[in-house]
Amino acid sequence: MPFFKTIHWVVWKDLISEWRTRETMSSMLFFALIVILVFSFSFSMDQDAARQLIAGIIWVAFTFTGIIGLGKSFTSELQNDCLESLQMSPAPKGAIYLGKVAANFLFMLAVEILLFPLFVLFFNLDVIEAVGTLLIIFFLATLGLSAVGTLFSALTVQIRAREVMLPVLLLPLAVPVMIAAVEATRGALNGDPFSFYSQWIHLLIIFDIIFTVVSFWLFEFILDS
Amino acid sequence: MIAIQVNSLSKSYGFYRIFEDLSFDIHPGECFALFGPNGAGKTTLLRILATLQAPSSGQFNIFGQDGVVEKDAVREIIMLIAHGSHLYDELSATENLQFALGLRGQSPAPPQIKRALDRTGIGAFADLKIRQFSAGMKKRLDLAKVILAQPQLLLLDEPYNALDHSGVALTNQLIQETLGRSGTVFMTTHDRDKATQIATRGGILQGGHLHLISPEQMTTDAIF
Repeated sequence: MPFFKTIHWVVWKDLISEWRTRETMSSMLFFALIVILVFSFSFSMDQDAARQLIAGIIWVAFTFTGIIGLGKSFTSELQNDCLESLQMSPAPKGAIYLGKVAANFLFMLAVEILLFPLFVLFFNLDVIEAVGTLLIIFFLATLGLSAVGTLFSALTVQIRAREVMLPVLLLPLAVPVMIAAVEATRGALNGDPFSFYSQWIHLLIIFDIIFTVVSFWLFEFILDS
Repeated sequence: MIAIQVNSLSKSYGFYRIFEDLSFDIHPGECFALFGPNGAGKTTLLRILATLQAPSSGQFNIFGQDGVVEKDAVREIIMLIAHGSHLYDELSATENLQFALGLRGQSPAPPQIKRALDRTGIGAFADLKIRQFSAGMKKRLDLAKVILAQPQLLLLDEPYNALDHSGVALTNQLIQETLGRSGTVFMTTHDRDKATQIATRGGILQGGHLHLISPEQMTTDAIF
């Protein structure tokens, strides 16, 4: 069974469904917008103070927004018992997993790219020199979150309290990614030399590899059970 | 080679026994109709054969492949048409077929898809989203999948539900075509009249046991 074609079909299906409903993206955007507004009104900060806290605020917003998208990733498969068709498909389950990760990653990254200018605007950030580094950090952290989040989305989809169980199970595992992302983002926003925070980026790369490989192997067992 | 070989198959949910020690063989070219009252375990047996559920004990082979150990190989040759249509509401009929067959490693050309949809009588709705389809139209789209995928083993759960007269005739035609290429059909149904027109053999699942019946017995009221 062609591995990459399966990934292509899963991504194609998820993107086309989302394009037509805009259900996941709009709820993610709306939630993130509220988070930005709440934080922005809660703190009246000057630029220096903002730089100390903003990295954490950004990743709290991105992580919780991502959880909304991840939660919908497999609930959409419940309609008309589509999850069954994935389960009994002869396609490699690892390819289905990677297709889902890719779709979730694209949704999350798109929301982050749309939202980041609002953070810059509301918190008066000077980010022009750090944009490239920040994009790399967003890319790596979002990949880690979607890799482990997709697995837990599949694990919790058949549970009645899945909306609660997904963050409860996912967040403890996502903590290393969040810490690394916050520290690297803080370093980039402070204008520190790259070598000061490069270890956090290396950590993100390691987590991405571990989460993706482990989840890839576990996915078949989870989908079949 | 035996198409479906079931040996001492049992299924329980906790202490609740669904069926016990089922053993039967179904050969290529046979259409087997499984009857039984509600809750007898017909759909559970079908889902086990479709590799969606594991049996509590016993084993089964599909065209020589172990249904528990060699699931992936089994999944390449079977197709299940069940109550849930396995269709995505936001995709069109054509897109649903492309996706379903894509996951089977098949990529039918657009004219092939169009022919299959025309044959099932929904060609005019090829670009319509599934959420605008009726239950009967969804069932016909499932039949289009069968036309394109041509599975060796076709598993049907209440295949005549939601279908009009021409839909029933088309279903029986596709069953005949599957049998004609030495495939096998296993269906669960309550509709004895329709099933007896096409089934070559049958069984009644009741009280956790399977009673095999011949085609002649299928038309006998006393047996049911």
